[in-house]
Amino acid sequence: MPVRVVETSAPSQISGAISEQISPPFCTLLSVGQTFSGTQNVSSLQKDEAWRVNVRIQGYDLDHGYLCGTMEALNVPMADTPVVTFWEGEIVDGKNYTFFTGKWEASAEDDIRHWTKFPSFSPFLCQVEVDGGKSLDLSNYPCIFLRWKEQYFVNVGTDCGLTIAGFYYVCFSCTDGSINGFYYDPNSSPFQKLELKSTNEGRSGFSFSSYELQ
Amino acid sequence: MDLLNRLASLDPDIKLKALREVKNQIIGNRTKKLAFLKLGAIPAVASLLAAAIAEADSQLKNGEVTIADKNSNYYNNNTFIQSAAVLGSFACGFDDGVRAVLDAGALPYLIQLLSNPDEKVVDAGARSLRMIYQSKLTPKYEILQDKKMEFLLSLLNSESENVTGLGASIITHSCETSLEQKSLSDAGVLKKLLGLLEGSFSQRDASLESLAALFRNNPEVVSKFVGQESGSALSSIIGLTKDRYPRTRLLACMCLIVIRNSSPFYLQDVGIKTKLLYLSLELLDDPGEVGDEAPFVFSSLIMEKEDLQKLAFEANALEKFSNHLQNSRLHPKRLQGILLALADICSKLESCRYRFLSLEVWNMVTNALTHDSAGVRTAACICIRSVTRSIKNLCAGYFMNEVLVIPLVQLLNDSLVSVQVAALGAISNILVDFTTGKSTFVQCGALKQLIQLSKSMESTVRLNALWALKNMVFLADDRCKEGIFMELTASLLASLICDHNPFVQEQALALVRNLIDGCISSVEYVFTENGIILDAVRKQLESTSKAEIGIQGMYVLGNVASGNEFHKEAVMQQLLPQVDNENQSFIIKFLQSNDSRLRTAAVWAIVNLTFPSSPGAFRRLIKLRSLGIVPEIRNMVNDPCLDVKLRVRTVLGQAVIFGDGLT
Repeated sequence: MPVRVVETSAPSQISGAISEQISPPFCTLLSVGQTFSGTQNVSSLQKDEAWRVNVRIQGYDLDHGYLCGTMEALNVPMADTPVVTFWEGEIVDGKNYTFFTGKWEASAEDDIRHWTKFPSFSPFLCQVEVDGGKSLDLSNYPCIFLRWKEQYFVNVGTDCGLTIAGFYYVCFSCTDGSINGFYYDPNSSPFQKLELKSTNEGRSGFSFSSYELQ
Repeated sequence: MDLLNRLASLDPDIKLKALREVKNQIIGNRTKKLAFLKLGAIPAVASLLAAAIAEADSQLKNGEVTIADKNSNYYNNNTFIQSAAVLGSFACGFDDGVRAVLDAGALPYLIQLLSNPDEKVVDAGARSLRMIYQSKLTPKYEILQDKKMEFLLSLLNSESENVTGLGASIITHSCETSLEQKSLSDAGVLKKLLGLLEGSFSQRDASLESLAALFRNNPEVVSKFVGQESGSALSSIIGLTKDRYPRTRLLACMCLIVIRNSSPFYLQDVGIKTKLLYLSLELLDDPGEVGDEAPFVFSSLIMEKEDLQKLAFEANALEKFSNHLQNSRLHPKRLQGILLALADICSKLESCRYRFLSLEVWNMVTNALTHDSAGVRTAACICIRSVTRSIKNLCAGYFMNEVLVIPLVQLLNDSLVSVQVAALGAISNILVDFTTGKSTFVQCGALKQLIQLSKSMESTVRLNALWALKNMVFLADDRCKEGIFMELTASLLASLICDHNPFVQEQALALVRNLIDGCISSVEYVFTENGIILDAVRKQLESTSKAEIGIQGMYVLGNVASGNEFHKEAVMQQLLPQVDNENQSFIIKFLQSNDSRLRTAAVWAIVNLTFPSSPGAFRRLIKLRSLGIVPEIRNMVNDPCLDVKLRVRTVLGQAVIFGDGLT
């Protein structure tokens, strides 16, 4: 019988029976294969601009607080084709990652400044200021907080005139699968907003597929 | 052969001399052993032994001892000693030899030698039996049978080193169940074995191995042992990890690991973990059998244990094993051990896989896929399976290349099922590919092979072939899916969904689930051949008691229900209880399941059936209410699982839109 590994898209048992669970719950709308589309606002002082963006989840490892996928930006002025990047995500679960980034030139103040822009973060502010939210019980909260960091360009060269030096603070809503995010890069305009909704790809309803690693 | 003729001589001198010659020729010489075996030497020697025993027995019965008797006693004893040595030598590290010795019925005769008054005869018998009991082919010694336990204890209590060693070897060989472990422990064997740890190096080694057999997965026996000698028993074994003999260090290490793995109370601190890790790594440098076995001992320490895999990473274990891998003349057993150890280090942590790939010995692993030894081929597949768990590299299409795929696909035709299954494991992971790699796979003819294997007589092969196909179909483009479906056919899929093995059923359902995701026209697949697949899904959902099958089946229905009106109505039909059956839909029992994943899957189907944008949604809602499904869902509004709770609220929210006052 093949061994089931932790990197399955659906964890073995999340029935709330595990007394120590404080990590965010598993949510089918954030599982592998799920797609989201919307916009990324890239406004600067000079102009108002928004790119259409599609995101697809490709990997999910709840135990290690890991997520990954692709992001496709359409109607990018400098590019002839949509620009696709591969990103990796950290799930704020109090075990693998806290609300404090601790890298990517983001200070604790930067972290707080960004998380507080999400209304659903407000109940946690006090505790996070104390210990980064390590002791919070996130298991029944209908939002999942993440950081997404683009790792490389999939279909264009690094000389395409675009940057992936920064990362996104992300809030995912388990209720309707909507995603809000803010791009952080000390060398770019602040608070560029990402707004995505779960897509059904032409279906009237939600469809789910899955893979399993051996 | 002349030598064999002389064995059959009537002259006892000639017989004895011939026996000695055979012994001298075969010792340490596998080729000679095989040659003599083919000539029938073993039954011949076994007969000599039997005859000598019979003669000695009849002398005893006669009572009086004459000079002739004393003479024949001399010959008998020497025959006992030499034939025991010959038979033991044939059995030593040579499976065919063991088989032949057992087939010749020599075992009971050798055991009889242990009761001989002459010490040398007893010793010869014991030495011979020790070699026989090192083989897995030797039948289990039934420890729990009355006289057997008594006899075993008498061996352990003997003055002779070889005889106590035999007692320990029998325990190592045959002690398997917790009842056997407990009985031996209750009979005072632990104390005896602890004493042997102070004996000769042979006694120490034998004791370490048999202690491990007693401890394995038995925390009570472990506690009893550790409690002996005011707690210093454990120190005796720990002390042996510094012994000058590498074999003793290896066995002590192995024994401590067994204790660690069998009981949560002992040897859990970081100090001892690190010590055991470094010791097993150091023993890898031994050029002989100890070095061959060291990787297996290392694996037993880190297997399934993320904290130890991290320690191994920090101890540069990957570099160490990779360096050994570069030796082109590795003994197959050592190569197998190294590949399995690498697989274990990379089994859970991405950092380990990343470091391993950067060491550039990947081609050594792929080369091992064509090794003569099946054990090595399997180990190479298992290593690849571990490393290909790297989602990041799968997303980049790093593994979908000819160098890796072609030899793996060739192993799908291997003569051994175990190798085929191991290859399927690795292939399953590689097929999770987000680039254009899947079509490459189809082009190299591998798809046909996978489908062929999904029809295998062996259920593990069917199951793993379907697993690979399931991953292949995940997010595949329409053309790829069509190609796969045409080869598989609806009838085959339907029959696999109804396979007698539930694990096969589950994989088949998951494959269909993936097939009908994506472009809405994919949903049509379940309707081909008069809806044979949909009918099979329904059949399984009605009869299954396994959550996993319910989950995959409900996602199939849910995915269909995300389609158009026709699709949704078809799913409604499936939910209707059969006329001659129980009067509730199978979905109700899923909604009531203890498994939250199953509850989630069931609710999603209802979300899709009542999706507001579709014309027939209200009509379906009414029907679902009459089937008792909507009331059941209403009861779940405070489900302990957040995902379920939110989907339930989605359904109820959708119902409110129709203003029917159903909430």
